Amino acid sequence: MTCEEKIPRLEYKQVENVLIITVLGKWETSSQERIRLLERWESLLLQWSHLNEFKLTCHDSIQWDSSLVVFLIRAKKDLSKNGSQFSFFKLPAGLNKLLSLTEINPSKLDLAPQRKSRVFSMYLKNTTRPIEFWGSLIISFFKLFSGKSVMRWRDFFESARNCSASALPIVTLISFLTGLTMAFVGSVQLEKFNAKIYVADLVSLAMVREMGALMVAIIMAGRTGAAFAAELGNMNLNEEVDSLRTFGISPISFLVMPRVLALFIMTPLLTIYADIVGILGGLLVGTSVMGFSALHYLEQTQAALTNMWEVYSGVSKSLFFGLIIGLVGCYKGIYSGRDSVSLGKAVTSSVVVSVTLIIIADAMFETTFNILELR
Amino acid sequence: MLAYDEVLILKNVSFSLRKGECLVIMGGSGCGKSTLLKSMIGLMPPQEGSIQIFGENLWDRNQEEKDEILKRAGVLFQGGALWSSMSVFENVALPLELFSDLGEKEIKELVLFKLSLVGLSGYENLFPSELSGGMRKRAGLARAMILDPEILFLDEPSAGLDPLSSKKLDDLINELKESLGISFIVVTHELASIFEIADNSVFLDAKSKSVLARGRPKELLSYTDNPEVMSFLSRNPID
Repeated sequence: MTCEEKIPRLEYKQVENVLIITVLGKWETSSQERIRLLERWESLLLQWSHLNEFKLTCHDSIQWDSSLVVFLIRAKKDLSKNGSQFSFFKLPAGLNKLLSLTEINPSKLDLAPQRKSRVFSMYLKNTTRPIEFWGSLIISFFKLFSGKSVMRWRDFFESARNCSASALPIVTLISFLTGLTMAFVGSVQLEKFNAKIYVADLVSLAMVREMGALMVAIIMAGRTGAAFAAELGNMNLNEEVDSLRTFGISPISFLVMPRVLALFIMTPLLTIYADIVGILGGLLVGTSVMGFSALHYLEQTQAALTNMWEVYSGVSKSLFFGLIIGLVGCYKGIYSGRDSVSLGKAVTSSVVVSVTLIIIADAMFETTFNILELR
Repeated sequence: MLAYDEVLILKNVSFSLRKGECLVIMGGSGCGKSTLLKSMIGLMPPQEGSIQIFGENLWDRNQEEKDEILKRAGVLFQGGALWSSMSVFENVALPLELFSDLGEKEIKELVLFKLSLVGLSGYENLFPSELSGGMRKRAGLARAMILDPEILFLDEPSAGLDPLSSKKLDDLINELKESLGISFIVVTHELASIFEIADNSVFLDAKSKSVLARGRPKELLSYTDNPEVMSFLSRNPID
């Protein structure tokens, strides 16, 4: 093949009112000559606009790939647009076959109306699903007490271990540092009033009322809630949730219940632990930096916590925080889409929604306690 | 030789592929078909021996050179392996956008053409999660073909397809072979497809971890004296 024969080109010959177009050369998708030829195509169409019959063929020596098929489809569409007659003749057999395959596969779907109805049904689902989820969970809860639940206690204990004992190192670290930081910040301010010893009151009250429950909840949302969403989302992706349904096993009872119950029970226990560790963080600063004896500091702490409601209020809040994290994590996971992107979104969303709901719930609790004069 | 750490998968496997030929790699489950394919498409190095594609030793090259060789090949994974964050159109168009100088209009035409070849016209705006398994596979095939590869590697293309779709896919493979001169290496154990598309085959054996037979499957069926190959091709279990 000579150099000229390798260049994709068109030759045309007019016989009366009929234009015969011959395609020659080597047609390759990546060829720059072919791209330039197609750029001239529009002007050729204008040039031929007065003609009313076109015939297109390929030279015997033609070499081609998909780009030629696409060009022939375009040529047929453009040249027959204004009611002109168009036909192919003497095309290579393979090219003819591919062209016929594209003709028997016309567009099958009008997507626009389907999309509209899908958007509506998606909104509807997003509204009804949480209700359905909550309802199913309540039913599962009652089934648990009537002995009809399919929840396996082994799963509950496994979840409980995962969200309690396994979380101890991170809870210890964060709570200790929280107590320590509060003591440092408080000492600087209280020193101005010569009331340094009240650091013990500040740290202990802040920990048991607010920070213990809040820090544990945020850790649990990022750690356990996200893990629930990922775990259940992956099960959904692999049709494991569907397989449970086919056996008549409620995924809510089997998968959600043990996890939510575990978090509901373990979050308050972790909160009590975090309260203690936070107070110890404050104690470290009180004894090593501020010069109090450990006994003096602890006596001051005990005096600050004589009203046990301070402790109970924090622990009772953490019960709800645990419930929120468990519900959101499991809901996001079990209703995640069936692709990896949806799974990622479910995990992110579970953390964001949980943390937001925890902060809102905390504000509501504090407002309520103040209105009821419980503080 | 192919192995996962200490576990030997295949040894003494050798075959070649001519332009426009369809070679089927067959054998029972666990015989190393997919592992062999992984090695041929640059995902798993052989522990011994070489894999030559277009006369170049794939595993002797650096990553860039390997990528250049592999750009001339297309791969269809078992589940389609579509990128879930992109629509069908975007999935098929991406290689063209990255590796060609084509304009938007021509990319669109080429993508629609490839989708029409696999019977997915009209589905281009859907996302992988909205497609059935068979449709995902067909979209994966359109993506594998988008750069007009000289070789297409197909991993279990008919698995999970209904008989009609499977037949259509076999016909398409034959059409592409004849019209565009594409060569195929197909890993499958679907007998109907094997007889329909294969010009040549290698039969891998899980026990000996090597090639048990080679040749055109229809001919193998008539002349092989190997009981395992005969049993496999005639769907007749050995007692």
